[in-house]
Amino acid sequence: MKGYCMKPGPFRYIAAQSVEEALDVLASAEEDVAILAGGQSLVSLMNLRLARPDIVLDINRVPGLATVQADDSGARIGALARAAVVERDASVGRYVPALITAIGHIGHPQVRNRTTIGGNVAHADPSSELPGLLACMEGTVTLASASRGAREVGWDEFFISVFTTCKEPDELVTSVNFPMAPGWRYAYDEVATRHGDYPLAGVSMGLRVDGGVVQEARVSVVGVADRPVRLSSVEAAAAGQDASAALARDMAGIARTECPASDDAHVSAEHRRWLAGTLVSRLMASMVDAA
Amino acid sequence: MRTDTDRPGLVGSSVKRVNDPRLLVGRGRFIDDISMPGMAHATIVRSTIPSGTVTSFDVADCEALLVLGVDEIAAATRPIPCVWIAPGQEQVEVPVASRQVRYVGQPIGIVVAPSRAEAEDAVECLAIDLAAEDGVADSLQALEPGAPLVYPERGSNIGVEFPIGDPSELVEEAMASAAVVVSRRLRIPRIVPSPLETRGVIADWNPGLEQLTVWMSTQTPHHVRDHIAHSLRLRADQVRVVAGDVGGGFGSKEHLYADELLVCLAAMRLGRPVKWIEDRVEHFTATFHGRDAYHDARLAMTEDGTFLAIHTSITGNLGAHFSNVGTGPFRVSAVMLPGPYRLPVAGASIRAVFTNTTPTGAYRGFGMQEAAWVRERLVDEAARELGMSAIELRRKNMYRSDELPLVTPTFQEYDSGDYGRALDLVDARVRAYAPAPPASARIRQGIAVATHVEFTGLGPSKAQDIVGFRLGGYETAVVRMEPDGSVFVSSGVMGMGQGIETTLAQLAADRLGVPLERVRVQLGDTGVAPYSAAGSIASRSMTVGGGAVVRASTALREKILRIAGAKLEVSPSDLELVEGQIHVKGDPRTGTSLEELVTRAWLGLDLPEGESPDLECKYVHEPLNISYPYATHAAAVSVDLDTGQVAVDAYWVAHDSGVVVNPMIVDGQIMGGVAQGLGIALFEKMLYADDGQPLSTTFMDYLIPLSSDVPTMVMDHYETPAPHIPGGMKGVGEGGTIVAPAAIGNAIAAALPEIAEQILETPLSPGRLWTLIHKAGLHDG
Repeated sequence: MKGYCMKPGPFRYIAAQSVEEALDVLASAEEDVAILAGGQSLVSLMNLRLARPDIVLDINRVPGLATVQADDSGARIGALARAAVVERDASVGRYVPALITAIGHIGHPQVRNRTTIGGNVAHADPSSELPGLLACMEGTVTLASASRGAREVGWDEFFISVFTTCKEPDELVTSVNFPMAPGWRYAYDEVATRHGDYPLAGVSMGLRVDGGVVQEARVSVVGVADRPVRLSSVEAAAAGQDASAALARDMAGIARTECPASDDAHVSAEHRRWLAGTLVSRLMASMVDAA
Repeated sequence: MRTDTDRPGLVGSSVKRVNDPRLLVGRGRFIDDISMPGMAHATIVRSTIPSGTVTSFDVADCEALLVLGVDEIAAATRPIPCVWIAPGQEQVEVPVASRQVRYVGQPIGIVVAPSRAEAEDAVECLAIDLAAEDGVADSLQALEPGAPLVYPERGSNIGVEFPIGDPSELVEEAMASAAVVVSRRLRIPRIVPSPLETRGVIADWNPGLEQLTVWMSTQTPHHVRDHIAHSLRLRADQVRVVAGDVGGGFGSKEHLYADELLVCLAAMRLGRPVKWIEDRVEHFTATFHGRDAYHDARLAMTEDGTFLAIHTSITGNLGAHFSNVGTGPFRVSAVMLPGPYRLPVAGASIRAVFTNTTPTGAYRGFGMQEAAWVRERLVDEAARELGMSAIELRRKNMYRSDELPLVTPTFQEYDSGDYGRALDLVDARVRAYAPAPPASARIRQGIAVATHVEFTGLGPSKAQDIVGFRLGGYETAVVRMEPDGSVFVSSGVMGMGQGIETTLAQLAADRLGVPLERVRVQLGDTGVAPYSAAGSIASRSMTVGGGAVVRASTALREKILRIAGAKLEVSPSDLELVEGQIHVKGDPRTGTSLEELVTRAWLGLDLPEGESPDLECKYVHEPLNISYPYATHAAAVSVDLDTGQVAVDAYWVAHDSGVVVNPMIVDGQIMGGVAQGLGIALFEKMLYADDGQPLSTTFMDYLIPLSSDVPTMVMDHYETPAPHIPGGMKGVGEGGTIVAPAAIGNAIAAALPEIAEQILETPLSPGRLWTLIHKAGLHDG
């Protein structure tokens, strides 16, 4: 009988001391392994017994995975870097400020003190902020395994569906990469019922503007589908246009048509699409003002 | 806080709460802080279907210390009695366990193991078959022809129907004669009480003494003790209930649940202590909910806005069975519907409906939040229809202070106060408010008020009996001066974070002329505290319990002065007791030390003829009437037309709760109450699928306000002492929650006149508001 639960079911606990040891455990385990980083999603799911791993592989003691690097080519965040650390990192703030904004919407300070960038992305929650920003920035995720070494995959290959990624069972996310190219600026905004909750819709926007004309635009939305969605019609409509209030209105209108969405118990699909448009228009206004 | 009374002494002083230092450094003693040698842990087995039958309950190869299934539990227990019985209510007790399941969360068994995790593992090995049937969650759907029947043998889902107040002919006559009748269907959804500490219990059976000791997070230790003894067929003296620190209750811990009883039964069977802590997921379905009613309401008036009549037809959702209070909240909605207004005709009809949901019971506000929502929304809608200021319309219809006391058409004897003054104070605050202009043209701002009169304290006992409430309305205090001159105070009311230990100590110290730190207040232990039928419910701890402490302390003071008078050979009435000294009034040189007098009295010395040596007084306070505090609140809100988000920018309260014993604690009660009211207004709703499957089961899908959502509040207090209460206090625990949703709802309506008439249901979440805004065409162009 399925009961009401507050304690996890039985599991084996292994605390890896190195990346190699963690990869060996992943490669040799014949049972279901859950990787414990910040534990902000995993532990709740285990307490509710919705997650029933046979082995919990704790990587919190693994050295070298909590690196934070940022420069004009972007930010490379080690999988174990805590959201709160990245949020306060001066170089990230200087080179990829949109990442700081997006992190500020993840839960509350107590959650961000524990949650990791790698865990957040690997969990692949369709309402989560960072996968949306990664999609907008054409970001990548670095994976490592004992037998095949490291590989870097693009966001589009990485995110498959709800809580599902291309990560193989023997692989570990080692870093998350938010690339910057010359002339690009990014921003993030969202609407949630209460600050820090999963957004009803969250929009990331990238713009390359030259001489008041949008050369290229990238727009992604989270909270509306089973993974982050790029709004390619909105992007196409912006390219080559004057960065103006009229363009912002046009982009919002297209977003409200193009954005997928479905009803749930709290908001309608129509409302979510409207919010995507509103956020597109607000981000355009703020980015053009800031330019 | 500002009060217009400045008294010397401890009453009226914002002394710091006596328990806080201990709690703030983590030395609280909540249920989960207690561990005992040999203690085992329980988990409750619950129905996972809204409706059906337990066809088998097989322990199989389950590894546990103890498993009790439905049949064993039913055989070992007597049903738990209902406490508030409505006219015509047939179900007056509820079996502890039954093969018929009527809601998700209904207990059907208990499993005990060395740890909670192992108990939960063991549940997974049980072979339980549930045969599911169709269920229904919504009270109106439950009344439709062909709806699934919660009790098929009854032939209908109506639990009981009865009227309140003026007869319907009188109501209809008044409605027909009115120039304007504002008529709406309003809805107040289901609320999950959500105290910080969920329920919890440790039970320990001593087989030698045949004594059951129960540590429980409860608001009503004696009441729970009585029902445990009844259900387990024990004598009352065999059960001792001890409530230590309680991390909030809000009404949800004011009775005995089957869960706690199962833990007692398990401890008796095992002969070792058993602990159970309610998990948050359990709390969403196993703890009784609050609210859940539809109101088809009408407010009638003349062309100039003079109110003629108010009436509401209440369809209240009982859940799967009558809770201990049953129709109580719906009834209180009805009797408090008129509020502070001169309404010559007032009445209600109540239709209480069974559904396949968790039973509904007490939650802070107890029917009065619903009444305020219904009445105050109707008043604002009336002002809009009449083209009058909503404040003027209220002022015109409010009882003047010289009209009090009076009896309303719904039989409430309003005691005292000046309702218009609260309105005036808030009106002045609102007029002085200069909000920052909105950041964009897509932000709308609105300000509005709401006002109410509140029923606090309960009692007198005979009045409780008349309305079918089988709960004594009195409260008892014992006040004792020990041989060292320190003071012990005990009462059957209960602390649950509201600060009652501090305020009762203030009352006693003030009357006995001793410093606050010389007074200790002991509550919550049926082995120590005097009997209390009702415990801490209905904002009664200070009015009824405090009244008893005032009288017992006064009696003890008089006894001390009689002894001192005999010793000093002066009349006791010429003596005063100040800072540990007793002396002739105005002459500090002539006197005796209190401590010396007390020490000798307990030795049996220096006593006048006929005076006993014990310096202990007990007083049973049976109040002559309910006390009726009142308030006006105002909210200023911003609404984002594009997102549907609401921010509460500013909030004002003007309040009269009689004599304020501790202004800081009163402020805290009101602020906390408003925060919960804001949650009701904007966030909170327990969601069910149509068949009764719960959809809100964690704080991810049931939102409560965060500190960042709650605005700073500006408060004005003034004091009209309660004429029937020793000390003059009126209750203050619930007012914030009662009226805040209406104030915020009215402010949102003021911001959005295009959809104001559709602001009828909470929560006013982004999803609900955006849809109304969208349909009104405010997104066009």
